[in-house]
Parts: sequence; C-alpha cells; structure tokens
Amino acid sequence: MEHRESGASAVMQSSQIQPTHEGLLNTAVSQLSVPVLVLDQGGIVVAASRAAEAVLGKHVIGENVESLLLRDAKLDRRAADLASQDWIRTVIGSVLPTRIEPLGEAGFLLTIDPELARDVLEEQQVPDDLTGLPRRKELLTKLNTALENARRDGRPVAVHCLDLDRFKFVNDTLGHPIGDALLKKVVQRMQSACRKTDLIARVGGDEFVIVQEGIPTVEAAEALARRLVDLIGRTYVLRGHTVNIGVSIGVMLSEGESDPDTLMRSGDLALYQAKNAGRGCFAVFEPSMDTAMQERRTLEIDLRRALALKEFELDYQPQIDLSSDRPVGFEALLRWKHPKRGRVSPLAFIPLAEETGLITPIGEWVIRTACHEASSWPGDISIAINVSAVQFRGGGLVETVLSALSQSGLKPELLELEITESSLIDNTEMVLSTLRQLKEIGVRISMDDFGTGYSSLSYLQKFPFDKIKIDQSFVRGADDSSDCGALLKAIASIGASLGMKTTAEGVETENQLARIRSEGCTQVQGYLTGRPMASGAILEFLNKTMMKDIAA
Amino acid sequence: MSDDLHKLVYYSHNRMVADDVALRDAVQQILVTSQKNNRAAGVTGALMFNSGCFAQILEGPMDAIEDTFERIQQDERHGDVSLLAFEPTSHRSFENWSMAFVGASLDDAARFADVARATAFDPSRMDGDRIHAILRELTMAEEHTAA
Repeated sequence: MEHRESGASAVMQSSQIQPTHEGLLNTAVSQLSVPVLVLDQGGIVVAASRAAEAVLGKHVIGENVESLLLRDAKLDRRAADLASQDWIRTVIGSVLPTRIEPLGEAGFLLTIDPELARDVLEEQQVPDDLTGLPRRKELLTKLNTALENARRDGRPVAVHCLDLDRFKFVNDTLGHPIGDALLKKVVQRMQSACRKTDLIARVGGDEFVIVQEGIPTVEAAEALARRLVDLIGRTYVLRGHTVNIGVSIGVMLSEGESDPDTLMRSGDLALYQAKNAGRGCFAVFEPSMDTAMQERRTLEIDLRRALALKEFELDYQPQIDLSSDRPVGFEALLRWKHPKRGRVSPLAFIPLAEETGLITPIGEWVIRTACHEASSWPGDISIAINVSAVQFRGGGLVETVLSALSQSGLKPELLELEITESSLIDNTEMVLSTLRQLKEIGVRISMDDFGTGYSSLSYLQKFPFDKIKIDQSFVRGADDSSDCGALLKAIASIGASLGMKTTAEGVETENQLARIRSEGCTQVQGYLTGRPMASGAILEFLNKTMMKDIAA
Repeated sequence: MSDDLHKLVYYSHNRMVADDVALRDAVQQILVTSQKNNRAAGVTGALMFNSGCFAQILEGPMDAIEDTFERIQQDERHGDVSLLAFEPTSHRSFENWSMAFVGASLDDAARFADVARATAFDPSRMDGDRIHAILRELTMAEEHTAA
C-alpha cells in the first residue's frame, strides 16, 4: 500500500489500526489550519478541520461528501491511487476547487484550496450582499452586548436558530435567481415578524439566527418562533412560480452567565429536535436534548467502527410456502452485538445509520454476506434482504448487487430485495428506475410492511412487485378482529390478481396460521413457522422441515 | 420583470378576534388600504369576507400581483392562506374595481348569510375558477343594486 506522508493522511492510517485513538485523531484533524476533510471509503466525512467547517459554513461530519461536491462523480475505489480534482460548494453558494487523494484503501483526504478558502472566510466578515443582513462575526459581537445588557437588566435574551426546509430543492429545481429572490422575501417576512430591535443575521446559505433582546418570559420567545413558522411557511409567488418552503427553529433563552457559543450550540440542538419532529415547527432547548445528543454521538462513534470490528451478524428467518408447507426462503435480519451495550436493537441503530449514511456500507456488507451464505444452501432456497431508501441514493446499489451475485455465484432469481413503501415516497422515479434495472438482472423485488404506509395501491400499479409482505399488525389483529381478516383477504386477492405472491408476517399462533391459509396468502413468516436462526442452524432446519409437514 | 396580465385567487381564515362592529371596521380598513395600494399598482379585483374567511381575487401585471400578494402574506390578521390559482389571464374581470367588496352592506348579516347559503360559499371547498365566478357574479349584482 502506498503511503502519502501528508500530516492528515498519516493520522488516518493509524486510526484504522487503533480505533481507540479515534477521538484523539479526530481532535488533531479538527485543529489543522488547512481546510481538509477526511472521508471514509464510502465518501462519508469522518473528520474535518475547523478551517474546512468554517469555510463550508456548516458541520459536515457524518455527511456524504457527494452532497457537497459539484460533480456527481462517485469516489472510485478502483482508481484508488489517483488524486482527482473537484469543486466543493459552501453554504453561501461559493464553489471552491478541491483535491481528493486516496489514503491507501482506508478512505480519502479532501483538501480545499487554502487561499480561495481564506477569501471566502473574509467575505463572511462583511454584510451579506443579497439580503444586507449581518453575518456570523457581527452576530457574535452583538450577541455579546445583548448578553451584557441581559445580565444588567435581568431580562433574558432569546436566540432563535432558523433553518429553511426545502430551500435547496427550490434552488436546485428553479435555479439560483429564484432562490435568491425567495431568500429576499423570506428575510422580509422575518423582519415583518420581528421587532425593529431584534437582530437578524444570515449565518449560512439557508440558515439564520435571530437575537431577541429583553424578553419578559419564555412565552414571548415562543410567540415569535410561532409567528416565524407561520409567516415563512406561507406560500410565495415568485416570477410566475408558486413556491412552498418551511422553517425549523431552535430556541434557547439566556440565563445568568450564558456565553454566545453555548447559547448558539443549545439553539442548534433544539433546532435539530425541531427538524426531527418533522420540520416546519420550533423547539425550545431542554437539558435532556443535550444528554440525548451525547448518547447519539457515542452510538454513532460505535456504529462507525462496528463494521470494521465485525460486530454485525445476520440471522435468518424461514419463509414457508403454504401450498407445500415447506421452507422456500429465508429473510436476512441484521444484528449488532456490541461488546458493552450487548445486542443493540435495529430500531435503535438503523435510523441513525440511515441519517449518517452509514447504512450504505452496512447494507453492502449485508447484501454480500447474505448472498454468500445463501449460495451454499441446497435446492432453490431464496434469500430476502431489506434495502433502505438511503441505499438507492448515489446509484451504487445495482453495482453492489451485481458484484455480490457474481462473487457468490448465487442465481439472481434467488435474491429478493425488500423495500418499504416509504422508500418510494421521495425520488419515486429514481427508485423505480433502479428497481427496473434490478429486475432486468433477474432479482426479485418485494414490497415490505404493506399496509402501514400511504398510497400503497398506486405503488403496486407503478411497479410489478414479485411479492407483497403483509405487515404483521394485520396478522396479529386477525385473531379477534374480523376487519383485519377482511383486509388480509383483500390484500391476498389483490396480490393474486396482480400475479404477486403474498407473505403474511409475524405469525405466532395456529389460529393465525389457519386464518392466513383460508384467506389465500401464499407464504408465511413468523415465530410459529420458524424463529430467526444463525447461519449454522439453517441446514439442520431445512433437513428437519423437509421431512415433515410444519403445520401438522 | 414582467407585466404580463395575471390573476391570483386565494382564500384564508380570519384571525382577528373582535365583535361584529370592530370586525366590520377592520375589514373596511383593509379594503380602503388595498384600494389605495391597488390603484397605484394597477391591480384590480374583489374581496369577500364571510365571518370566518377571506376570499380574494387579484388581477394585474405579474410583478404587481406578486408584490401585493407578498404584502397580504405578511399580514397576521389572517392565516392558513390557500393559494387557489395564480396564472396568466387574457382579460380583467373586475376592470372597474381597484378592490370590489362583495356584500358591502355588511349591516344585514342575514342577507350575507343568504349569500353564503345561496352560493354555497365555503371557499375551502372551491377551486379558483369557482370563487372567481361567484365573486364576479356577486360584484355584478352589487353594481346593479348600487346603480
């Protein structure tokens, strides 16, 4: 492996060897005065220098660098010994040249042109051309003064951290001139909601901070936040276009010895909470948010190294065909065994993995491992694998599947990818085109958790799914609710008439099984017909169940 | 910049908490201000107020419509604004009205209620064309009565 002895690259090489030093190394990278980002193999930013975050105008750790780069070029691991040039976008829309060089096979080092970066940073010191609003530097100065006044008068200062929802989408689809015109109107609406004495600053492309001085109570801060959410969220008409955006707001009130940094950080935490609560709303900071964030951070750090430390495992749950009562396939279920936390529930780490983009490398590992495992099974036993919406972004899914199939020798028609309805909600066309490519290869596609989403029937029409998996809530309810029974029957007959198989999930009792059989489902999966098992137990299970009827 | 003739239709919910008299005064005030602004901007249209809701049509050069609508959007006396139509149009329907007010004789609440019944005036259930047609019809009736 060729080593490039720049400071940061040496730092990263050793972090691969000793993960315990990761925190120290990240801190070291963060102190560098050169604007650099350290990327992992998948292009996720794992460390960033302060200079880089300052010039980009936001925190980028955990983000996929592809969302920042101008070119859509995927980082190419096969060409891993060549440095490449690209351009990176800052939040205020500047575009800066960057150099991306591989760090052996561990990842990449991205360096932003230091001189141009310095120019951009200097621009940050003067008022914003577009809106005329002060930037971060003036904000901090004025916030300091406001805090001094607050200590004197005993009337707190409220900091509102605002982040526009869907602004990037408007900019990308309608173009920058419309985006700029929109920002001007947004600022007018902020001004209309605020008092003249409130300070409004633009701290990023679509990020603003409002300092509300001398407020009597937390209610006054809430009232302003509510007004801002209302006014900014109202429809805009711009050069003949109708535009809808929203705003998420985090609010923090000063107390006693508050300093600007802590206030802004807490405001950001509350903003994160507001975004998580579905955007288009505000949240007032509570200390518990800080604790939750710390926990999330440590979980994220653990999750980042889980793949390298081989802490993931797959269990396999049998799927039984109801006409023969024999197993016809298994669903791969991801397990994380953490040395200290023990078994971490997928409900706890999958959303985090999706949010941080880590789901892409983890998902790739699942696909490769499960295909490899399934290729050793006798007969035509299929393998079902869950695919997250996030894995469709970036366009690497088809390649991953092709490569996993060719490496394992598994027949494509034995691979079933399960997607949920929610994957289809955003970027429907892009997801559908990926599904079509997969289907052309011969891979089967299932609709998972059917019945829990929204416009399920229209999606069934849009794509020829091979199988519908009926959510367990309908199966569990079928015991005592005739409604659920009726729904089961309806879904089974929709499946039958569209030529799709139907699998009932979560079957636990003989009653449920009998019900499912009589309603016409074609397959069943659940504790009753087979619990999830380690790969080592599969052959024995197959031998046993091939001998006798499982329903007997 | 564009001065192509456009029309815009919206409805919204009243947020003013006031008794009937104060409400009437407030609506009157809104009307006067909007007539003044519209005359200057070359905007015509009609406004309807029915206790809970405003419905309004604006017609004029696109830029003027956008500025007027932006001012309306910043007004916190109403909320839940739904934009029903914003599109080019070949002619004005309210040529003579800087802002016609439907049901100008607000005194007669019963009459207004009749209008609501007769026209099934529930803007939240109508599209822009329907509101446009109703407002146009009612304005013509007002014009006729006034003459």
